[in-house]
Amino acid sequence: MNITRHVTASVVAGGPPRPAGGRQGAFFRNLPGYLFLSPWLIGFLCLTLGPALVSLYLSFTDYDLLQSPHFVGAANYVRMMTEDPKFSAAMRVTFLFVALSVPLKLIFALAVAMALNRGLKGLTFYRAIFYLPSLLGSSVAIAVLWRQLFAADGLINSILGVFGIEGPSWISNPNYSLYTLVVLSVWQFGSPMIIFLAGLRQIPTDMYEAASLDGASAVRQFFRITLPLLSPVIFFNLVIQTIEAFKAFTPAFIVSGGTGGPINSTLFYTLYLYQEAFGYFRMGYASALAWVLVVIIAAFTALSFLSTRYWVHYDD
Amino acid sequence: MSSFVINRRHFLGASAGVVGLSMFGGAARAAETDIRMVWWGSEERANRTNAAIEAFEQAFANVAVEGEYMGWGDYWPRLATQIAGGNAPDLIQMDYRYVFEYARRGALLPLDSYLGNELKIEDFGTANLESCSVDGKLYGANVGVNAIGLILDPSAWENAGVEPPTYGTTWEDYIEKCLAFAKGNDRKRFYASVDGSGKEALFEGWLRGRGKSLYSEDGKLGYDAKDAADWFAMWVEMRKGGGCVPPDIQALDKESVENSPLILGYCATDSITSNKFVAFQKLSKVPLGLTAQPVVKDGNPSSYLKPSQMFSVYAKSKAPEAAVELANFLVRDPRGALILGMERGVPASPAIRDALMPDLDEASRKVVDFISKLTPYVGPLPPAPPQGAGEVYNVFMRVSQEVAFEASSPEKGGESLVKEANSVLQRG
Repeated sequence: MNITRHVTASVVAGGPPRPAGGRQGAFFRNLPGYLFLSPWLIGFLCLTLGPALVSLYLSFTDYDLLQSPHFVGAANYVRMMTEDPKFSAAMRVTFLFVALSVPLKLIFALAVAMALNRGLKGLTFYRAIFYLPSLLGSSVAIAVLWRQLFAADGLINSILGVFGIEGPSWISNPNYSLYTLVVLSVWQFGSPMIIFLAGLRQIPTDMYEAASLDGASAVRQFFRITLPLLSPVIFFNLVIQTIEAFKAFTPAFIVSGGTGGPINSTLFYTLYLYQEAFGYFRMGYASALAWVLVVIIAAFTALSFLSTRYWVHYDD
Repeated sequence: MSSFVINRRHFLGASAGVVGLSMFGGAARAAETDIRMVWWGSEERANRTNAAIEAFEQAFANVAVEGEYMGWGDYWPRLATQIAGGNAPDLIQMDYRYVFEYARRGALLPLDSYLGNELKIEDFGTANLESCSVDGKLYGANVGVNAIGLILDPSAWENAGVEPPTYGTTWEDYIEKCLAFAKGNDRKRFYASVDGSGKEALFEGWLRGRGKSLYSEDGKLGYDAKDAADWFAMWVEMRKGGGCVPPDIQALDKESVENSPLILGYCATDSITSNKFVAFQKLSKVPLGLTAQPVVKDGNPSSYLKPSQMFSVYAKSKAPEAAVELANFLVRDPRGALILGMERGVPASPAIRDALMPDLDEASRKVVDFISKLTPYVGPLPPAPPQGAGEVYNVFMRVSQEVAFEASSPEKGGESLVKEANSVLQRG
């Protein structure tokens, strides 16, 4: 998540070629650089790294916010793994959400990007229009709108009503509520689409021309030219979108009124974490939950990176 | 998280700065004591409260008050964080549900020593003082008396050709009425009643009627699996007969006015705490009625009067006297209490209530009328909810939905509710 990105950034930023001369001389030569860096550096240390370390400590304590924390060892982690049915429920919901929303969103984004890449007039206009939902994406207003769309007398059911179908209240039915949130997530395909579009424009057109001359069909061109050459971009989108999906919070919070209901069907992991922290005053346990999420996301990101040599093709 | 910060002193400071006096901006009011007050609620509430604070500052020239308000959802995380950081506001609007959690963790100041001095609220009566007490100590000044009731649309009941429920209607009668309503009604997706199976307040009233309670005096569960199973079974009967809204519509209900199935036009009857009546009426085109919750036949009284909210003082306040003075001014001094009016509930002080009566609108009058008519049906305050009660409520709601969506039977639901609730209470 953020931390990993910041750390890589700082490693990169802190590694200019070392100038000749004494240590002190180097420090003073680099001082302006550090000063320019300082607003970010101070913010990172005080607002990101500091709190993160404190939360790591808190995850080993029993802390109710109002009284001082006391150390309980790994009890929070043990409880999570052995006797917390809500933890496994939240895991199930979150993994299902990630597994459905990320691939669907990427496929959708790629499809739209390819449609836009056919040299159509007013490309920038369409690009902006398609990007719009992503700008509004995680806002409260959209989640509220979603409730209206998928409620019993919402727009979706009005449309179904024309065909004589009486739909349920999608958003508040445990069989469908998570899928409405998946649809919401897929609808916000804007940012991967923009990146795909940029990637598609990098692919030299003469490759397609040559393939056409050789009689390759459009489908074959897609699988043999587009996908391989686009794979670095797909990889980037996959990693970013997976992280985003694990962190999703607002839609479930608004749609379920903070309960994760009905019957825990929208109990995203982050929502459960929030409930434990601010609903039930269990900051220690919530911190432990947060660190487990960090580990899960890190593991997924690492797995993605390891898998790259099997399917990601870099030009050089 | 959005919050609206009303800070007149900063505002004055800013405007003074514009004319080149920024150095003196902060000292626009020469006050010896600065206190902060925080509450949750609507724009309407903010306007009234700010006006009352202004009146307070005129009456007590040596105290300056900085008011701040936000929505219910943002309020609790923020307050908890501020208390953890040791910088919570001096005067805190507190909810009945949370006062136990905060008082027992030592975040609030006991007010007993101020009673009769700065805090002149003896005329609230024992019941209203006790309802703001935790373990025998007073932790808040009652801002409004509240009770659970049924809010209903009389015209819809009339159209269906059924007499609406009223004071003393039993649960058996209520179900019968709702089922009759289903036969007489011709509106699509419209039902007599809300699905109350997941409404803890109704469940509590029903338990009280059976001589049980949500929690016992020693902080254990006050009912058993059989009670819970009977409750869920009663609502299964209601649901099957079309007497209440189906579960997916009920699940839209988030205990807020805008999402009530009554306001959304799905049913003719909902249950509310009485201070919400005015807000419901504002969102409804037809005149609404307010009456008591159903009672258990030949049972104990179901209802009780509880504070809609209270003003509590932060334990680490540097100016507790000033904070108590402000609380007193808002709930008992006509100069402040009349400005707040009925917006937070029916005032606990008979004197303030009498002074308010002549200027009340129709909806507010109905609430006062409800509280007076309810008196014969009122029993003693239930035992204090133990730590973990908030989480038990979530368990209760989830289990009620499992039964409603037929993922579980009433019997199984009753068992799992009691089992899970007990394990939550043990953990505390």
